[in-house]
Amino acid sequence: MKLPQAIPLKPCTVSWFALLGLTTITYELSARAPGQALMALVLGVMLVKAHLIVSDFMGLRHTRLLWRIVMAAYLAVVGGIIAFTCLTA
Amino acid sequence: MKFQSQKVAIPYFVGALALFLGQIVFGLIAGLQYLNGSFLFPELPFDIAHMSHTNLLIVWLLMAYMGAAYFIVPEEAQTELYSPRLALVTFWIFLTAGALTILSYLFVPYAHLAAITGNAALPTMGRGYLEQPLPIKVGIVLVALSLLFNVTMTLIKGRKTSINLILVGSLWGLALLFLPAFYFPQDTVKASFGWWWIVHGWVEGDWELILGALLGFILIKMTGVDREIVEKWLYIIVAMTLISGIIGIGHHYYYTGAPAYWIWLGTIFSAFEPIPFILLIAFSFKMLLARRREHPNKAAMLWALGTPLMAFLGAGLWGFMITLAPAQYYMHGTNFTAAHGHLAFFGAYAMVALAIISYAMPLLRGRIANSAAAQRWEMTGFWIMVLSMIGIALALTGAGLVTVLLQRAADDPMSFMQVQDKARVFFWLREFAGLAFFIGLLVYLRSFFIAGEYGYAGEMKQALAA
Amino acid sequence: MATEISVDYPQALPGDFAIWIFIFAELVVFAALFAAYAFARSAHLEMFDAAQATLDRAYGYANTLVLVTSSYFVARATQSIKAGRATRCGHWLAGALGLGGVFLALKLAEFQQDLAHGISLSTNLFYMFYLSLTFFHFMHVVMGMAILAVVAYKAYAGRYGAADHAGVETGASYWHMVDLVWIILFTLVYVVH
Ligand code: HEM
Ligand code: HEM
Ligand SMILES: [Fe+2]
Repeated sequence: MKLPQAIPLKPCTVSWFALLGLTTITYELSARAPGQALMALVLGVMLVKAHLIVSDFMGLRHTRLLWRIVMAAYLAVVGGIIAFTCLTA
Repeated sequence: MKFQSQKVAIPYFVGALALFLGQIVFGLIAGLQYLNGSFLFPELPFDIAHMSHTNLLIVWLLMAYMGAAYFIVPEEAQTELYSPRLALVTFWIFLTAGALTILSYLFVPYAHLAAITGNAALPTMGRGYLEQPLPIKVGIVLVALSLLFNVTMTLIKGRKTSINLILVGSLWGLALLFLPAFYFPQDTVKASFGWWWIVHGWVEGDWELILGALLGFILIKMTGVDREIVEKWLYIIVAMTLISGIIGIGHHYYYTGAPAYWIWLGTIFSAFEPIPFILLIAFSFKMLLARRREHPNKAAMLWALGTPLMAFLGAGLWGFMITLAPAQYYMHGTNFTAAHGHLAFFGAYAMVALAIISYAMPLLRGRIANSAAAQRWEMTGFWIMVLSMIGIALALTGAGLVTVLLQRAADDPMSFMQVQDKARVFFWLREFAGLAFFIGLLVYLRSFFIAGEYGYAGEMKQALAA
Repeated sequence: MATEISVDYPQALPGDFAIWIFIFAELVVFAALFAAYAFARSAHLEMFDAAQATLDRAYGYANTLVLVTSSYFVARATQSIKAGRATRCGHWLAGALGLGGVFLALKLAEFQQDLAHGISLSTNLFYMFYLSLTFFHFMHVVMGMAILAVVAYKAYAGRYGAADHAGVETGASYWHMVDLVWIILFTLVYVVH
């Protein structure tokens, strides 16, 4: 039997707290002196946040692999372009 | 056809096709004048042929859309048209005004026409597509108001479907966007702003919504697919059109004296303008695959599926080719633009008009579909016109390329007339393709004169025998 | 006989597939905007960094918290309707709408501040991007709120239920997309330097 699929309560709330925390980290980093390590950190945090929204809020963690790949590829491309332009600036 | 009053669409459709024929004749003349500058001079100078060609284009498209509105709005609202008589009177006023305009172009020198129609009091004449004298422009507004009053009242008293809301809403938009025609300041930058609000606002905004509504209506009727599905697609297409098209107007503001940020905004947003056309293709073919019945009007289906494909080619592909600021830097106002204008106008707006006519005319004449023989003529006309329009576009693209290479991007640029001479072969090709187009149009028109309706029994027998 | 059934079987995308076509199209549009910003920035590094330093990052920070939270509320609304609790679903959506309103108010205050400083699209390339990107996103928040309002209304009217929750998921997916692009926008425009 196929059960109606509810997004489990806990991960969603945990993700919310994680998003609040990560946003605070990003804000904290925004005042630091620029550098490549900082940049990597900021982008890494951004991708984690994006992943949390896609996976838990949108609920894509329960969908077919195809859609998860599409979204991951999207984030990889956007993150990649930003990283690339930072490195070549 | 369910309501008697839908019949007022007939004169609109017939009138539109007659003006279409006139448009092509003027196109052929203008094309010949490219090859022989003194052809028909001084009786019919190029600028007059050109503006008769483009004005007839706009008028016959508007006429066809009005006919479509009078056909669709009552059917969707499930009630008779508010005032069929008003619609008929409006038709005759519109046709007379349109004919008068062209005749005045032909027989009154343009400057004189401007003088006797009060252009000095409120200057409006002279800009492309908007060459009409002031009284005619006012007349266009009145005709539009009459249409809007009629269909809006019909909508109010009947069922409010999404198709009807989008259609009537975009007809309101069409009329409102015409108002900058009365704004023609001395400042050329401001004047071109106003002009593009109309031209771009129509073809890359409002008319795309009309196109979507007409196509949606035809596909609901012909495929029997659920209305909700069609409506969802339409809303997405509307949203993508507006998201890309409104700011996309910036692709006309490059290097014109408008603020420099338009180079970025126009480039980025107009680059997305092909998306709604891609969505239209996906939508139409999804509806085709999901169809619940085989409609006997094969010709209408051909038009309905050809429209998004050709629209994408002309607007999406040819438009994209010239839209980025670095491309416009070299291509602006060359025959690349004319190639794009022809393919897009025909592929999107002429074809969707022919699609609704193809679907509605047999019904208005009391049959579900035309006889197989008539449909064969119509579909032959379809293919000749589509292929020769691609031919016109390719020829003009070649001519555009010559200008870019020899003049715009050349170290040692040639003069305008020298370049025109080098591009001569392409103007010949354009004229031949135009002639083929004309023949295709005649073949298409011939289909209306083949009597008889679609007979299931006869077609079945034939199909089994084959 | 099946005794153990994995609950984690793969599903189709939540909500109506049509909204996903729209979401993907929107994501492509935003990606191109981000890419344009990133490349323009790499070509004018000093100017971008100097202009970016004048932004009030607290606004961006606060707005991110607000939008992330509203997204969480919407996720909870989806859970509620799947559990058959329509009124609770409506409450969560109303809360999300309220937070959307807070986001708009904060953004307007920020625009107001920029305006007071005489900043416009013509100030420089950074501000051109900053203003048009955030305004474009602003309009998406407005549109997302319109969608959520319709969904909330229908939820309160009892038009959704445990078995019939696709409408809620459709609206929710769009709202999460608006949140997602803001996360990237915030990082890129306010933080990356
Ligand atoms: C069905 C839709 C469309 C139609 C009917 C159409 C028609 C036209 C026409 C007639 C012109 C020439 C105007 C003039 O006389 O100067 C034009 C110009 C232009 N169109 Fe379109 N167009 C459509 C869609 C698009 C799209 C989607 C794009 C971009 C992707 C685009 C990009 C342009 C550009 C950049 C110009 C200016 C060319 C120049 O000034 O040299 N068009 N269009
Ligand atoms: C027999 C076929 C046709 C021929 C020979 C023809 C020829 C011409 C010529 C010579 C021009 C003037 C170009 C210039 O100003 O340099 C023109 C303009 C134009 N024609 Fe046609 N045409 C034909 C069919 C069509 C059709 C079917 C459409 C649309 C449905 C159309 C739409 C236009 C438009 C929009 C312009 C203005 C283009 C611009 O200003 O960039 N033409 N045509
Ligand atoms: Fe345009």
